[in-house]
Amino acid sequence: MPNILIVDDEQAIRRFLDTALSAQGYTVQEAASGAAALEIATTRPPDLIILDLGLPDIPGVEVTRRLRVWTQLPIIILSIQETEEQKIAALDAGADDYLSKPFSMGELLARIRAALRRANPATAHLIFKVGELSVDRARRRVTLANQEIALTPTEYELLCVLVCQPGKVLTHRQLLIQVWGEAYANELHLLRVNISNLRQKIEPNPTRPFYILTEPGVGYRLRTE
Amino acid sequence: MGPVGDSPRPDRDLAPGWHAYGLGLGLVVLASLLGLALQHWHISANQVLTYLVAVVVAAVYLGRGPALLVSCLSVVAFDFFVIPPPITFAIPGPENLPTLIELLIVSLVISSLTTRLKTQIAQQQRQALATQALYAMSRDLAAAEDLPAIIQAIVANIGQTFEREAVILLPASTPEGDFKAYPTENIAWLDAQEKATAIWVREHQEPAGRGTDSYPQAQAHYLPLRTAQTNIGVLGVRPVTPGPYLTPEQRQFLATFASVASLAIERVRLAETARRAQVLEATEKLQTALLNAISHDLRTPLVTITGALTGLEQNTMPLDDLSRQQMIRTAREESQRLNWLVGNLLDMTRLEAGTLHIKRTPCDIADVIGTALEQMGSRLNERPLTLTVPATLPLVQMDFVLIAHVLINLLDNALKYSPAGSPLEISAQLHGTTVEIAVTDHGPGLSQEDLERVFDKFYRASPTAWTTGIGLGLSISKGIVEAHGGQIWAQNHPTGGLCIHLTLPLTAPPHTFKKQPCPTF
Repeated sequence: MPNILIVDDEQAIRRFLDTALSAQGYTVQEAASGAAALEIATTRPPDLIILDLGLPDIPGVEVTRRLRVWTQLPIIILSIQETEEQKIAALDAGADDYLSKPFSMGELLARIRAALRRANPATAHLIFKVGELSVDRARRRVTLANQEIALTPTEYELLCVLVCQPGKVLTHRQLLIQVWGEAYANELHLLRVNISNLRQKIEPNPTRPFYILTEPGVGYRLRTE
Repeated sequence: MGPVGDSPRPDRDLAPGWHAYGLGLGLVVLASLLGLALQHWHISANQVLTYLVAVVVAAVYLGRGPALLVSCLSVVAFDFFVIPPPITFAIPGPENLPTLIELLIVSLVISSLTTRLKTQIAQQQRQALATQALYAMSRDLAAAEDLPAIIQAIVANIGQTFEREAVILLPASTPEGDFKAYPTENIAWLDAQEKATAIWVREHQEPAGRGTDSYPQAQAHYLPLRTAQTNIGVLGVRPVTPGPYLTPEQRQFLATFASVASLAIERVRLAETARRAQVLEATEKLQTALLNAISHDLRTPLVTITGALTGLEQNTMPLDDLSRQQMIRTAREESQRLNWLVGNLLDMTRLEAGTLHIKRTPCDIADVIGTALEQMGSRLNERPLTLTVPATLPLVQMDFVLIAHVLINLLDNALKYSPAGSPLEISAQLHGTTVEIAVTDHGPGLSQEDLERVFDKFYRASPTAWTTGIGLGLSISKGIVEAHGGQIWAQNHPTGGLCIHLTLPLTAPPHTFKKQPCPTF
């Protein structure tokens, strides 16, 4: 079973995460500071890190940055009172996902599974399927309940960027750069309009989206299960 | 008012120029020539009267000094031209001596009386104008409601009346010293020496500076501002262009201005203190309300959570699976509520501290509404929900997270104040350059009074057993919407139920792909 490193300065949170994750069959390591986390990550590398942003010694964003220098192991951020800017900073620094405290255990487990799946290329398929939606990147075909959906090239590109990293929160900036390019990193209205159009086409109820989920103030995420 | 300013300046009569004496001399020459002409044509006339006319003219038009000169010269000229033998300084005989002495006495008396009368009239005129000026300042001061307005009134009136630049120094702890100078502009001349003079005035409560014995080298004349009770500060007056010092009369008058000004400054100060006391009292009330609300509303979920968890922990208590699950669900729901309450309290604090920053980005209204519904989660499950959101709505420049927060608060409110299972409606529509969003429930609605007060902090219409929350949600929503330049209001729906409307300005062209600077997101 995968090994998970929990980094949080609050003992209560470490203890309950340890219990819950162990019960799911994961093996768990704990670190109470950024320095300890960096050391464990090099000496006994885990398969995934759950990282608190508000660490007493090294800020979570900085820990992420230092880890990303040499490893791509999945990082899920936990934040308690952090602003959207800090979440965005952590995601742009290379974190895979984030959850705001208090979070539900079911949600955390789902995010862990998605992150581990993404980290393992063996399970990546050319055809992505969730619910009624299916994206076949080899044939550039998008279907909803077996009905082919006609998308504009931009909408398709946007959907593909989301499909490439299913379940991962992609910040507005990341999406804009990956779909439109570096020069459009701040043209948020492009993203809003295209997400809206994409939802009109693939969502059964565009005002209550099922597939493309909004992360308020941060970005978007594709549902995986 | 206009010419008032001219009057209290040093009187020309008190300091006549040399030309006045010259004119006086001319008058005597004129009177003598007239006398000679009369003699020449053998016209019988009393030449004493001719010289007296000259004295009167001099006294009226030239002032005291020239009048005295004319008096004395007239006696000499009379002796020279009139007393026989003419054109010689004759020693007056017993028949002419009384005439000469009479001429001298009458001349002196006339010149003295006339100039005194003239001075008195001038003084009365000045006083009348001064009273008028003082009245004008009092009127301006009465109309002024705050310190800047008072200062402006004082500076303007003193400037007009004394033709001087006025500066008011009030005690304050500033980096430059323990004074704050008003008005804050055009006081570059207020250097260290001027300030030292002002400090001396404040310490000694006596005038100093220009035209006095203390700090005479200062540019301005300083005098204390004080009332019977307290020392207010220091008033400085500086001539705009170098000119004569203030006369004693003007100083007295300036002191009157200063005392009127002091009273006005004290008045606004007292009003400010009273207002602060009121604010403080309101703050204390609010804090008490907050503490009560916290102790009640934050503890209630904790009681439930603790109860549920200890119940589950107790192995001795027989629990079937259903009640076990129910207890767990209750604990989870209550912790969510607790989290929400804490979040609202934090938002309120941020709003009030002014640290809640609006990050405007182009946002899709449908996305914001969807996010709010998503975050309400299962609480909406048993409610028939009607969404009216046109797909053609333009993007709106707003803070996505905060407006989603507002909608969650409105939905939370609608859920709390309408019966279980009753429908809810959310609609959005474009009105010109604003977007209006409305959340409607089918509850009992509100009374007219409640409709107005529902956005007040800690206000809760008709507290009932099934409503919880501190009454912050709507107040926070109002704060957020107003920070966006929008409006929020409540009204009863014609078919029953409460409808909360909010408007947000678009401030961005709809659905355009034109490149435009976009704030950080």
